[in-house]
Amino acid sequence: MSIRLETIRECFEGIIPGHIATSDTEGTPNLAYLSQVQFVDNTHVALSYQFFNRTRQNILADSPVRLLLTSHLTAAQYRLTLKYLRTETAGPLFEQMRAKLAGIASHTGMAGVFQLLGSDIYRILAIEQVAGPTIAPPPPPLNYLTALRRATNRLAGCTNLEGLLETAVDCLVDEFGIEQLMLLMHDEGRGRLYTLASHGYPVSGIGSEIPVGAGVIGICARERCPIRIGFMTSEYAYGRSVRASIAADGHGDALESAIPLPGLPEAASQMAVPITAAGRLLGVLYVESLADLHFGYDEEDALVAFAALLGLAMLHHQQADDFADEPAASEEDSPPTGGPPLAVRHFAANDSIFLDDDYLIKGVAGAILWVLLSDFAERRRTSFTNKGLRVDPRIRLPGVSDNLEARLVLLQRRLEERDTGIRLSKTGRGRFSLAVNRPLTLLES
Amino acid sequence: MLDSDNAAFIQTGVSISLAASGGDRLPSMSRGLGCKLVDGGRQVAVFIKPSQSAELLDNIRRSSRVANVFSLPSSNRTLQLKGLDARIQPFEVADLPIIKAHIADFVAEVLPLGLPEEVVRTLFAYTVDDLVMVVYTPVAAFSQTPGPKAGEALDAKP
Repeated sequence: MSIRLETIRECFEGIIPGHIATSDTEGTPNLAYLSQVQFVDNTHVALSYQFFNRTRQNILADSPVRLLLTSHLTAAQYRLTLKYLRTETAGPLFEQMRAKLAGIASHTGMAGVFQLLGSDIYRILAIEQVAGPTIAPPPPPLNYLTALRRATNRLAGCTNLEGLLETAVDCLVDEFGIEQLMLLMHDEGRGRLYTLASHGYPVSGIGSEIPVGAGVIGICARERCPIRIGFMTSEYAYGRSVRASIAADGHGDALESAIPLPGLPEAASQMAVPITAAGRLLGVLYVESLADLHFGYDEEDALVAFAALLGLAMLHHQQADDFADEPAASEEDSPPTGGPPLAVRHFAANDSIFLDDDYLIKGVAGAILWVLLSDFAERRRTSFTNKGLRVDPRIRLPGVSDNLEARLVLLQRRLEERDTGIRLSKTGRGRFSLAVNRPLTLLES
Repeated sequence: MLDSDNAAFIQTGVSISLAASGGDRLPSMSRGLGCKLVDGGRQVAVFIKPSQSAELLDNIRRSSRVANVFSLPSSNRTLQLKGLDARIQPFEVADLPIIKAHIADFVAEVLPLGLPEEVVRTLFAYTVDDLVMVVYTPVAAFSQTPGPKAGEALDAKP
């Protein structure tokens, strides 16, 4: 095979629809247009099965298959000879194709008509370029290999989770040219993802949540595969997905709803990439754009590779912080506090915290803050360790999988955003300090 | 087989694809550069570039059976015709205006969808000595516009 499939993937996006030819058992040809071709690997593609039509009858009757694909960048045409292998009706490949098809359907006025019934998987037997003139493709927006190399170096220089997250966002913006992004962590126990960092939105949305399975981000998390959509589709808009998901599972009260999810309401292109390490889903990296087809296969490859690095680094820092040794107890004298007192109210039912009647956070992060502030109020304690929190019976952490360090970063960032005179800062591996510069009134409800 | 509406439709800025199968059932296809009706509207003639279509033309010589799809990008309206008597005829220079008009119509059709004109014109670039005409009598017509009626056979209308 002289042409490698990975080098002609722009033909798959449906900008110029592909043609599929089959034959019935008598040798009568049949032609149809394709709405999408999904790259599986260099020797396999998947085609969407949407209707039981003549093409499908022929395929099931063992017809050889020919595709004619056209590059919208170079005008090159390719004839591919395929052999049908099987159909998948669930799982990562199916969900990738279903999401993409929803975008294509909405873009072509076929929302509600195009519906994926299955992903037909084919082996590629031959690829032939059709004779004819071509034009030079436009230069790519950037060199993803260079971006990846530079990002790798920058991630490798990070010494803790907080710095890693900050550097990861900077890399996506500086090296990969991403303008809108969110980094969400996986809350395994609750089946949620919570926003830990974002870029390019009027409000950060740090602390906002989305259920696993809802929208592009939630499906990416559930299937642990990248989900990419090239055109705006209400079917995968998160507002709608989140509401539908809440209505379906009846746990709306448990979802963080006081902090709205950031995001472009009119996003045309969306891509979510899972962050995994050691077989665990740690989080999701989400990028979006107002432009159609802003993310292609190359962008997907680059971000999947970046997310793999990020996942390993996250896991490393998480564990290093969790298991760092307890420091020598040296309680510093906290500076005197002044100004009007800050009322901190804790609702034990869901561990939510309000500062002067303004909602701050709930759940594990809320429980942690309440313990820190209680210890501070009782004995002016300002130095804490991850290890100490993990064994503290007042917090009831579900286990190592709960990403304690990520919770602390979430808490730290929420406090920074609110600027109410309470601050958390890292003082070493697995250690942090609390600073309070106003008198506190703690109220338990 | 073709009613006047479909006859007019296939001569607008549609995307045209023509296929024929080999002895091993393996089909091949090529893009058409326009079409016209001949024999008082009873036959369809599609313009093809032989340099891109050796296998397709061999298959037509062997079987005479063709499938021919016409699809309008802006509306997704799609029609498939089938013929059993396809034959290859030399291109007549007098038909050049049909090809030119077809390309112009197609460009006008896809530019609003975001395709660069240079790409479309390159895709349809041709030379007069690299054109043939495949002529056949449609014996079956199917609507392939996506939706519940996709694939339905169209009844012959006068």
